[in-house]
Amino acid sequence: MKKLSKEEVLHVAHLARINLEDEEIERYANDLGKLLEDIDKIKDIKGYDDEMMISPVEYNSDLRPDVEGKMLDYKTAMKNVPHSTGNFVEVPVMLNE
Amino acid sequence: MSNYLDLSIKEINNLLKSKKIKPIDLVEEAFDRIEKSSSLNCFITLNKEAALKQAKELEDKEVDNLFFGIPIAIKDNICTKGLRTTCASKMLENFEPIYDATVIEKINEKHMIIIGKTNMDEFAMGSCSKTSYFGAPRNPWNESKITGGSSGGSAACVSGRLTPIALGSDTGGSIRQPSSFCGVVGLKPTYGRVSRFGLIAYGSSLDQIGPITRNVEENAELLNIICGKDEKDLTSAKRDSEDFTRLIGKDIKGMKIAVPNYFVSDIVSKEVLDVFNKTVETLRNLGCTVDYIDMKYLENVVTIYQIITMAEASGNLARFDGVKYGYSYPNPKDLEELYTKTRQLGFGDTVKKRIMVGSFILSGENAKIYYDKALSIRDDIKKSFDMAFEKYDFVIGPVVTSEAYDLDEEFPDPSKSFMDDVLVMPVNMAGLPGLSLPVGFSPNHLPIGLHVMAPRFEEAKLYQFGAFLEKELNLNLDPRGDKNE
Repeated sequence: MKKLSKEEVLHVAHLARINLEDEEIERYANDLGKLLEDIDKIKDIKGYDDEMMISPVEYNSDLRPDVEGKMLDYKTAMKNVPHSTGNFVEVPVMLNE
Repeated sequence: MSNYLDLSIKEINNLLKSKKIKPIDLVEEAFDRIEKSSSLNCFITLNKEAALKQAKELEDKEVDNLFFGIPIAIKDNICTKGLRTTCASKMLENFEPIYDATVIEKINEKHMIIIGKTNMDEFAMGSCSKTSYFGAPRNPWNESKITGGSSGGSAACVSGRLTPIALGSDTGGSIRQPSSFCGVVGLKPTYGRVSRFGLIAYGSSLDQIGPITRNVEENAELLNIICGKDEKDLTSAKRDSEDFTRLIGKDIKGMKIAVPNYFVSDIVSKEVLDVFNKTVETLRNLGCTVDYIDMKYLENVVTIYQIITMAEASGNLARFDGVKYGYSYPNPKDLEELYTKTRQLGFGDTVKKRIMVGSFILSGENAKIYYDKALSIRDDIKKSFDMAFEKYDFVIGPVVTSEAYDLDEEFPDPSKSFMDDVLVMPVNMAGLPGLSLPVGFSPNHLPIGLHVMAPRFEEAKLYQFGAFLEKELNLNLDPRGDKNE
């Protein structure tokens, strides 16, 4: 079983936007290696046709009528927001002056 | 305390109609049972205060349908307005949805009473509900065994007779596999049969909500309520309304059944094969023909499933960023740290591993190498079933490769939880309906299920088949022992 290097673990963690401590990197290196080895088995599958099945649904052009609907009020929409200031969702500063 | 919850839904309905009992009797009984069976750990959140209030309010209303006043348990990845919905994750530990899922609206319209939110694998990722942030549920047949997963709490709740009905969700077996381990009836409906609006997404092209019940007929009755086109879910199917119980009671003589050889190969344990072979014999005695056939790509299904679900999960779970709802890392130095530390501390190990691999699958050229190819083979799996259904009414197999195993057993292989669902995943790939029906017991007296697969939108036929076999087998599926004998 292939164990991922520290750099490889950090690469996939970065893609998924997950911070990892050294202990976690060590812990995940084997499991991620095994999962990547598993999905690599797809390279050996032959004989299939190229048509793709993106979804089992074949009839999804059925859009709802374009009519005005009910909107959430501000207070409800903001109910689960962890950090807010006034009417705004609060996030850390992105640009320094 | 009374035992009304041991009666059939029809019997309870008659008692309610004749005013011999009130909904509050059922609700109080359900909470009494839950308290006495707390070691099963079926629930993450109980809805006691609201349920008792609703039951009192229903006393002034006419009993207008079969499910009026019936206690129901809901898997904790289905949004319930104002009632905590955690997905068994620290990430959503304090999340109270601001809207109801469409299935919940339908349940409320029929005045069913939501008793609580059931335990599950975190974000439905796992096969024994052990990845729950709130600890694993236990199997009512033997509390040292797993319930299966991811809808383990819902299956154990119905099996333990805490509520007569429950809802689960199924991405790669998550209704059918725990139903088999716990000895209850579980259906994954055809993809599109039930609205996914308000179901917290895992693998969007695979997820379906479905009923978990004590018997086949009640399963069909519950599907009658929750199905239907929903303008809030573009993937829900527009179908003429139908009664899924309409074929129940009709003979199954002459039906043609196929068993893929892979489903009875050496991946299946002896205790499961023995029960399965006996069931095949019963079906032949009932006048069905049973043929063993080869089907393409079944042995590759775990690989294809891993690629598709992990890729879809990585996209679906990108929304958990600490900004809009859920856990949020305190005092981050910048936005990147808010994202990365929220996700590090909010998600459990299995979820993190799967979304890391999923992000890798979808990055750059990998999408073509893995994801596109998986979708091509998925199409071939569907075609393979289409071909089988040209000749056969049903495809059958065991649900799981073994009986329920020990809760304490540790498996170092991260693919073990995928392998547990190898026999039930193909149905999700092809968007088909699949029924898990208890058909016997292992020598350890643990339930063993039969998996019955039908063409798309043929749930009524599945129920016909399941109900007929259920009646023929006449098993005692109450884990509380000889009480009912």
